[in-house]
Amino acid sequence: MLTQLCRYLALFGGALLLFITILVVTSVTGRALIPVGLGPIPGDFELVEFATALAVFSFLPWCQLQRGHVSVDILQSVLGKTVDSWLAAIYNVVMTAVSAVILWRLWGGMEDLQTYAETTFILQIPVWWAYAACLPLAALSVFASLWTVLRDIREALAASRGGHSGTEAGR
Amino acid sequence: MTKLEIAIWSFPVLLLLILFRMPIGLAMLVIGIGGSVLVNGSWIPVLSQLKSLPFETFSNYSLGIIPLFLMMGQFATHGGLSKSLFDAAASWLGHRKGGVAMAAVGACAGFGAVCGSSLATAATMAQVALPELKRFGYSGSLSTGALAAGGTLGILIPPSVVLVIYALLTEQNIAKLFLAAVVPGIIAAAGYMLAIAIYVRLKPDSAGQRDATPMRQRIKATIAIWPVLTVFIVVVGGIYAGFFTPTEGAAFGAAGTGLIALLNGGLTKERLVASLSQTASSSAMIFFIVLGAAAFNSFLAFAQLPQEAALWVTSQGFAPYTVLIAILILYLILGCFMDSLSMILLTVPIFFPVVSQLDYGMSAEAFGLWFGVLVLIVVEVGLITPPVGMNLFVINSMARNTPMLQTYRGVVPFLVSDMLRVVLLTAFPIFSIWFLTS
Repeated sequence: MLTQLCRYLALFGGALLLFITILVVTSVTGRALIPVGLGPIPGDFELVEFATALAVFSFLPWCQLQRGHVSVDILQSVLGKTVDSWLAAIYNVVMTAVSAVILWRLWGGMEDLQTYAETTFILQIPVWWAYAACLPLAALSVFASLWTVLRDIREALAASRGGHSGTEAGR
Repeated sequence: MTKLEIAIWSFPVLLLLILFRMPIGLAMLVIGIGGSVLVNGSWIPVLSQLKSLPFETFSNYSLGIIPLFLMMGQFATHGGLSKSLFDAAASWLGHRKGGVAMAAVGACAGFGAVCGSSLATAATMAQVALPELKRFGYSGSLSTGALAAGGTLGILIPPSVVLVIYALLTEQNIAKLFLAAVVPGIIAAAGYMLAIAIYVRLKPDSAGQRDATPMRQRIKATIAIWPVLTVFIVVVGGIYAGFFTPTEGAAFGAAGTGLIALLNGGLTKERLVASLSQTASSSAMIFFIVLGAAAFNSFLAFAQLPQEAALWVTSQGFAPYTVLIAILILYLILGCFMDSLSMILLTVPIFFPVVSQLDYGMSAEAFGLWFGVLVLIVVEVGLITPPVGMNLFVINSMARNTPMLQTYRGVVPFLVSDMLRVVLLTAFPIFSIWFLTS
């Protein structure tokens, strides 16, 4: 169920990218047609920024579930499947902690912005709105990381139970 | 320990974590946070920095170019562009000695013009070209070597995600950087074709014969690739002419390739979903590394490492070219086991201040562009150096009957060509910065 949720969220982020594409193409076309009375979309700059941030926050849980974060493979075959899975589990614990810190600090950042009532330049959107929109996504990252910890521990246990064949399958 | 010592010691720790398979972005982020705490002697600065760092990194307007370029590449991958490019290249080159492999390289160059990623270029072209290479009796080692090398043209020929990152790190003009990479990209494609021509003459049984295509069909095949050319010219030309910002250009590129893919019937609902989910995963991966690098580099800046390193190098009185060559060699070594983007993010913030202090007999702007192209090329070589060149794995996994060892052997002529090109571009900066000399 978590996987499905993260997948849909990733697609939602993808839809945001499509939205950015259409927004920018429309705005630039409008800007080019100023002589005939059209114009750019006001605040397109800010909208692109917010939409990109929102998209990236919605991509992160999916990437974590898909083992999408790049790492170096040179020792993979040497370490064997069991060690590799334990390492992955440990790093996912670290990832969970880091995601939690990001979530906690994002909350702090939002509170600051609420206090200062900072808004965007053109559209006067309160910046804390954007932070608030990212908060649930950042929370999902924490859950997704936690889930990958359990997944990799289970895999490590299975690999060590599988014994010697486990190291063979490492490659 | 002094602040500087902490910063210096952070490198072996970081490399060890990365070597033991910690995700690179996570390793940089953790060391960056931990290092800042040690250097400042307190948690407070880094915790207050983290209030805004993730959001500001992810909402950076210039970085918005990255997911858009990735999406453009995905649309190009799913949109059937690779087939028409390969057909056009094969109609002109196919009947020569080694011509089908040359056509694969040429088509990779064309595909690189709408795709900023090497892996995607290699994998996409392999789908189209591997069966054809096999049909005309090309050996597995030549076929996989040519495609793995050809794939590197994906990041070399603009648009290029790696160049965008370099531009942001060193505050270069993205449009000029793209332009600076065009000629080196063409030289690269020509060099690979030359490598093939020599290889098939030394080993005549590694390639078969293909009949020449009649002129009428050649022209028809060439006309069929106009959409790709149009997108490339609009995006790169539009950015360079200042008609739109690079991010806006990327949006136009994504819209253009998306439209082509849609009209070709390549963008079914399933493929759109696949494109978006792939874009999601790659974007998240890149942004997370960028975030990690931001934290890591701000820790190094706290400790004043970049300034100290630049001071040290200038005070030692090394010859500028010695330093440059040492850096390029270091990249080649690192490239054997690290991916290009992480390498750039990890090293450029330190190396660039160092080398830009030295006198290479050119303006700061020219140097920034030239150094960027050189770095791009040496990290790109890392994609095809055994043992862990990513392109080699991708291509080899697609060519089922070719053992990995043959792919390793097949890529050697292309590595030779790469080395010669690095020497050529180092010796003659003019190939990269020709458009600056007024």
